[in-house]
Amino acid sequence: MDAQKQNSAPKVTKESKNKIKVDFERSPLKDRLKAKFINIYFLQNVIFKLFRFVFLLGIAYIVLYPFFTKVAGSFMAPEDFVDVTVRLIPKHFTFDIYKAIWSELDYLDAFKNTLLLSLMTAILQTLVCSLIAYGLAKYKFKGNKLIFLLVVLTMIVPHKTLRFSIFMHFRYFDVLGILSFLSGGVFEGFSLFSANAASDVIRTLATEHSLNLTNTFFPMIILSITGLGFKNGLYIFMLRQFFSGIPDSLEESAYIDGSGNFRTFFQIILPISIPMMITVFLFAFCWQWTDSFYTNLFFTRTDFNLLPKIVGIPTSLQTEYAGQNLYYAAIRNTCGIMIILPLVILYVFMQRFLVEGIERSGLTAE
Amino acid sequence: MTGEANLQNTRSSKNAAPKKRKIASLNKRKARAGWLFVLPFVIGFVCVYLPIIVQSVWYSFNKIIILTGGGFETEFIGFDNYSYALLEDANFNETLVTGIGEIIFDIPAIILFSLFMAILLNQKMVGRAAFRAIFFLPVVLSTGIMETIEAQNILGSYLDESAGIDDGSGSSAATEIVSAMDVQNLFSNMKIGQDLVEYVVEIINNIYDIVNRSGVQMLIFLAGLQSISPAIYEACKIDGATGWETFWKITFPMISPMILVNAVYTVIDAFTRENNTVMSYISGIKTGTSANMPDADGVAAAMSWMYFLIVMLILAAVAGIISLFVFYQRRDD
Repeated sequence: MDAQKQNSAPKVTKESKNKIKVDFERSPLKDRLKAKFINIYFLQNVIFKLFRFVFLLGIAYIVLYPFFTKVAGSFMAPEDFVDVTVRLIPKHFTFDIYKAIWSELDYLDAFKNTLLLSLMTAILQTLVCSLIAYGLAKYKFKGNKLIFLLVVLTMIVPHKTLRFSIFMHFRYFDVLGILSFLSGGVFEGFSLFSANAASDVIRTLATEHSLNLTNTFFPMIILSITGLGFKNGLYIFMLRQFFSGIPDSLEESAYIDGSGNFRTFFQIILPISIPMMITVFLFAFCWQWTDSFYTNLFFTRTDFNLLPKIVGIPTSLQTEYAGQNLYYAAIRNTCGIMIILPLVILYVFMQRFLVEGIERSGLTAE
Repeated sequence: MTGEANLQNTRSSKNAAPKKRKIASLNKRKARAGWLFVLPFVIGFVCVYLPIIVQSVWYSFNKIIILTGGGFETEFIGFDNYSYALLEDANFNETLVTGIGEIIFDIPAIILFSLFMAILLNQKMVGRAAFRAIFFLPVVLSTGIMETIEAQNILGSYLDESAGIDDGSGSSAATEIVSAMDVQNLFSNMKIGQDLVEYVVEIINNIYDIVNRSGVQMLIFLAGLQSISPAIYEACKIDGATGWETFWKITFPMISPMILVNAVYTVIDAFTRENNTVMSYISGIKTGTSANMPDADGVAAAMSWMYFLIVMLILAAVAGIISLFVFYQRRDD
C-alpha cells in the first residue's frame, strides 16, 4: 500500500536552489505516439493542413507565374522565341533587352522624375489623408457625416469619367476666377516644378487669364493636398477606421497636460499609427509609381519622361522576323519589370507593415 | 511648429477669455478644430472637385470646340449628346448591358474568394507571412501601367500553352487529361445547376484576374477577422460548436460589416476599372469619331454620366440589400 502510493506519486527532487525536477510515471513512448498520431482527429488535421498548404501554394503560383514568365522572357534572345523547345528557360541568355531599355529609353531620367513625383504625392497624400481622417474620426461637429459622405462620393465617381474636365480644369487653371485678376509675374515661382520653361507659363497666363498647369507637378500636388488624389477616399476611410479605434482617453490626457489639438495629433497620435501610415504610404507610393492615367493626362510633353511612359520598343531591338510579336511582348514585359523592380525592393522591406498596420487598425465599420 | 502655435493660441485665448467673459465651450472648440482638420478636403472639394464635376456635367450638354490659338468654346446643344449615345450609337446600349452584367457576376466571386482567402491567411500555419506577402503583391504591383502591359501580353499565354511534355501532336498530354472542359462536362452530365457550373468554371478560368482584384478586399477582411475577440471562439469551442457552426454563427455575423464595406469597394472598383467593357468603350469613343456624332468629348461625358448614374443606383441597391443583413456588435452597451 505504502509502496504503491510512493510509485504513483510524482518524484520531486531538488536540483538546485530555485529548481526542482519532477519525475512522472510516463507510459512508454510507443503508446504515447500511438495515442497522439493514430486517431481520426489527427488524420483530419493533417489532411486539412496539407490541403490548405497545397491550395495556398497553387494560388501563390497563379499570382507569381506572370512574374516568372516576364523574368524568363526578359533574358531571352530573339532566337529563343522561334525555338519551340525553349519554354521558361532561355537558351541564349542575354541582357540585351535590359541594356537597351536602360540606355535608349532614358530609364534613369524617368526613374528620377517618377521617384520625385511619387515620393511627393505619397507623402502629401499620407499626411493630408490622415489629417482629414483624424478630423472625421475624433471630432464630432455638424457636417461630419456629410463630409464623410462626400469623401465616399469622391471615391465613387472615378476620375477616369472626369478625364476631360480634369484636364480642362488644370489646363486652364483658375481658382474661382481669382487668378484672372492677377498678372503673370507673380507666378514665376511656378517654374521651379515646371517641366517646361517659366516663360511658357507666364505667357499662357497673360494671354488666357488662366494657368496652364499641365506638364507641371502642380495638378498632382493640388489633388494630393486636398485629399482628392487617386484612391484617396480609400485611404481616408481606412485611416478613419484606424483613428476611431484609438481610445479617447489618450487625447483627453494630452489635453489635460495642456497639449493643443494639432500637437496631440503630431506628437501623440501619429507616432502610434506609424504601421498604418506606412501601409497608406506604400499604397500611395506604389499606385502613383505605376499610374498611367494621371501621368498621361497631365504630362503630355515627350521630353519629360516618367516610368509609366517608357514602355516601348527600343530602336536597336526593332526586328522583322517570325517571332517579332512575341519578342516585342517580351520587351514590353521587361519594361514592366524594370518599372516595378524598385517597388519589389520597397515591398520586401515594407510588406510586414502592410499586414501589421491593418491588423492593429481594428478596422470595423460602425 | 503648428502644434506649438496652436498651443499658444489656446493659451492666449484662455488668458483673454475672462476679460470678455466669453469662453467657447470645449465642444465648440473641438468642433472648430475638427473643421480645421478636414479643411483641406473641404477647400479641395469646393474649389477643385465641384467645378470639375459641374464642368463635366456641363460638357455633356455641350459641343466643345477647341480653338486653334488655345482655349476652347462650348456651344449648348441640350440633350443631343445623350440622344446620340442612346439612340444613334450602334453599340453603346448593348455594351452597357453586357458590361454591367459581367461586372455584377464578378462581384460575388471576388467577395467570396477574398473572404475565403482571408480566413485561410488568418490561421496559424507554416509560411503564413510568406503567403500573405505573395497575395498582397498584386495589390501593389499589378496596377496602372502593369495592367496595360498585362492586357496585351501574348508572351504569357505563349509560354503557358504548351508547358509540359510535348508529345509532338501540338498539345501536351498532361494538360489534356484534366481540362476545364472535362470538369464542366462531368458536372453538366450530372445535371446539377447548369448555370452554376458555368459560373464556377468562368471563375476558375479567370482565377488570375480574380486573385489580382481581391487584394484590398483580402486586407480589409483580414483586419475584420483580427478584430474578432478570440474569447468568443473559445466560448464556442467549450460549448462544443463545430468549425462550420462557428463560421456561420460567429465569423460570418462579425465579419458582415466588412462584407458591406467590401461590397461597396468592389462595386466601385469593378465599375471604375479602366479595362472593363464599358469604360474602355467610352474611352474608345474619343478616338473613333463617326460623321454624325455631335462631339466626341461631349458624347463621352454624356455616356460617362449615364453609366455613372447606373453605377450609383447599383451601389445603392447593393449597399441597401447587404446592410439589411449586417450585424453590428454593440460594444458600448
